[in-house]
Amino acid sequence: MKAELRQTMVETLMEETEKGAEIVVLVSDSTSTSKISPFQEKFPRRLINVGIAEQNLVGAAAGMALGGMIPVTANAAPFLVSRSNEQVKADICYSKTNVKLIGLNPGFAYGSLGPTHHSIDDISVMRGFGSISLFAPQDPREVRNVFLHILGTDGPAYVRLDSLSCENLPGTEGVFTPGKISIHREGTGIALLCLGTAAHQGMAAAAILEEKGISATVAGISSIRPLDREALLSLLGRHDTVITVEEHSVHGGIGSLVAELAAEESLPIRLKRLGVPEGEFAPASPPEAIRALYRLDADGIASTAEDLVKSVTRRIS
Amino acid sequence: MKNKHLLSSSELQERARRIRRKIIEMNSRAGAGHTGADLSETDILTTLYFHVLGVDENNPEACDRDRFILSKGHGAGGYYCTLAEAGFFEESWLATYLQADSRLPGHPVRQKTPGVELNTGALGHGMPVAFGLALSAKMQNKSWKTFVLLGDGELAEGSNWEAAMAASHYHLDNLVAIIDRNTLQLADRTETIMSLEPLEAKWRSFGFEVFTGDGNSPEELLKIFSKLDFTSGKPKLILARTVKGKGISFIEDQAAWHHRIPVGNEVFAAIKELE
Repeated sequence: MKAELRQTMVETLMEETEKGAEIVVLVSDSTSTSKISPFQEKFPRRLINVGIAEQNLVGAAAGMALGGMIPVTANAAPFLVSRSNEQVKADICYSKTNVKLIGLNPGFAYGSLGPTHHSIDDISVMRGFGSISLFAPQDPREVRNVFLHILGTDGPAYVRLDSLSCENLPGTEGVFTPGKISIHREGTGIALLCLGTAAHQGMAAAAILEEKGISATVAGISSIRPLDREALLSLLGRHDTVITVEEHSVHGGIGSLVAELAAEESLPIRLKRLGVPEGEFAPASPPEAIRALYRLDADGIASTAEDLVKSVTRRIS
Repeated sequence: MKNKHLLSSSELQERARRIRRKIIEMNSRAGAGHTGADLSETDILTTLYFHVLGVDENNPEACDRDRFILSKGHGAGGYYCTLAEAGFFEESWLATYLQADSRLPGHPVRQKTPGVELNTGALGHGMPVAFGLALSAKMQNKSWKTFVLLGDGELAEGSNWEAAMAASHYHLDNLVAIIDRNTLQLADRTETIMSLEPLEAKWRSFGFEVFTGDGNSPEELLKIFSKLDFTSGKPKLILARTVKGKGISFIEDQAAWHHRIPVGNEVFAAIKELE
């Protein structure tokens, strides 16, 4: 059954608050962005709006954590990560406060609103900070599981949360294990490694490739930190051709992560990183157009995979 | 939780003198530190820890303690010497100030030093965190209070004003912000770098109750603290007029002593003035 990911977040927050968790949700005029109204109606005192003031949003969350509560911030990822960058670094990560930062509508979800509203650097920035767990859940089931995990675990966490309405993916069943790589589909010809919800495009691409006789593995990275390094190594060891897919800059996201691991472990893989190219802002265009431009949609991923597989075959023959 | 010392103003004066001696000894031994800031804030910290704050050195994380945030994290030296004097840790730790793996780094770190609530050092962070603390106390019906000590130079950071606006909006009468108003920052006079005045009017217009006094006089500070009404619906701002480097004639009121430390005969001369 389809569900909207933010709605799943709000439902999970409400369930846990009802069970007695000292949750407080902080927004910066982002009540509609976060779809938080049902929570606000049920727990009006637990919704704090600080106005359009992202530094105060994050600093205040740190203070509320130090005061014994479980603060969850909910605003657009670009403003969270960029505008409150030093508060995230010092008050949350360095001070190790029990704050859950939710970056909404990441990547280029805001499309035509342009690069001020795009967040193609959040994983890159957050990977540079110590102490904080980083998650990018892929489907409704995983959103719920990630929230249950972070609300029940002391320490800072960042969740990159899309506004997508989608079905659950095969491979996210069962208990959520931080660090785990989800295998949505096992193939032999090529591996498509996707960040968060990009796995849905990866699955559609795999279906196209199947018709062309190419067997693709589709795997999802939803836990960037912690990361099950051995599981990722095992996956990379089973494939000689790998494509990373992310609505993020190719700098500092999962493309970088895989490249770093492959280089450190001298893995003989051919790697193509799909994302926003190094040194570019994505254009102010609808998300579908940006996906098509950077070959991040199903057709683009499939054609990239096909080209790559063919070129590898040519090289071998 | 009540303050267990409740020292009189003359006792606080004497205690502050002892703390200043520790600061001079510690900074000169370490070969670094923010001497001017440490001496500027000494009387405020002494009054807080020995008369105002409800804290327990034997249980620094007691749930019902008052919270204190040193937003001007570069004043770590004065803070450590006050915490040591109040018994939060062994005085011998002061000899390790700024050394590798010391429990007393150049800026406060809560994981390292008992009594420290937040890792500060970057400026403009204390007010938003103090706002969050005070709000969480209100939401949980707790009676503990939140105090935050701000430098005057850091008031140019916009985050302070975001938090001030919000503290007033949420009627946080359990929040006390104190400005160490010594009129000097790293490079020069605050008013030369970026005009802050009229500070009283600015804070009043943000909805704060404003109290002004000599921040190097425990007597005046005690009078102000005794006047605070924690049921007024308004956050409080204490504009504590101080002298940077207070207590040592050749250090007082000079921007050059922001980073400087006494060396050689200066150490003896400084200690002599504090006897």
